[in-house]
Amino acid sequence: MFVRSAKRPFGRSLSPATARGLVIALYALYPIGCVLQLIADETATGDALRIAGLSLVVAAFAAFAVLAGSSLQRQTQEPEAVLDERELADRNRAAYQAHSVFAGIVLLSLIYLMLRQDLSDNRNLDLWTPATGDHWNAIFWGAVMLAMTLPAAFLAFRKSHPDEDMEE
Amino acid sequence: MSRKELAEAVGVNPQTIGYLERGDYAPSVELALKIAAVFSAPVEALFSLEPFPPLARTLTKQGDS
Repeated sequence: MFVRSAKRPFGRSLSPATARGLVIALYALYPIGCVLQLIADETATGDALRIAGLSLVVAAFAAFAVLAGSSLQRQTQEPEAVLDERELADRNRAAYQAHSVFAGIVLLSLIYLMLRQDLSDNRNLDLWTPATGDHWNAIFWGAVMLAMTLPAAFLAFRKSHPDEDMEE
Repeated sequence: MSRKELAEAVGVNPQTIGYLERGDYAPSVELALKIAAVFSAPVEALFSLEPFPPLARTLTKQGDS
């Protein structure tokens, strides 16, 4: 998803540090925020944890919103005809890396669920699994954000970033 | 000639010219032919197995000789 604005049709140019910071913020704050909300019910300071968790999730969505309108996200979403050969090569590499990582995460999740079931059946050991609508909601939106931004994240962490070189 | 002018002449993003200058991206034959045509130079002048010497050193040598 690329959000094109009339003011910046090619997306907002982000410095490498900003782009990488946004990616780290998105991928760190969202799961931490969700976990805080998850454990809020089991602790005495539940309300504080819930508010802290919600704040982190909102901050992660803010990072997502900035990334969604960035030139990096544009590069991952534009039709081929609009990009030059270097941009296409970079995008193809990033898409391949993102696909590999996403597939790995899905596979690891399935292995966890399978092991959890096995341990539960045979050793009476209960590991956590998503059980409520809130749990699945958190996982679903996390997966959506990850799927939408992972190629741009790989572009942000390239050795030399396009936006480092704006001098003409 | 600025990067932007060269980029417009060969139909790429100005950032791509920066990548080419730094040696971070090897152009396709088509792009190399377009760049060579802009400078009226042979396409062989754009490729080398060895890194190109810095432009300043090349100019200094030419000045000495």
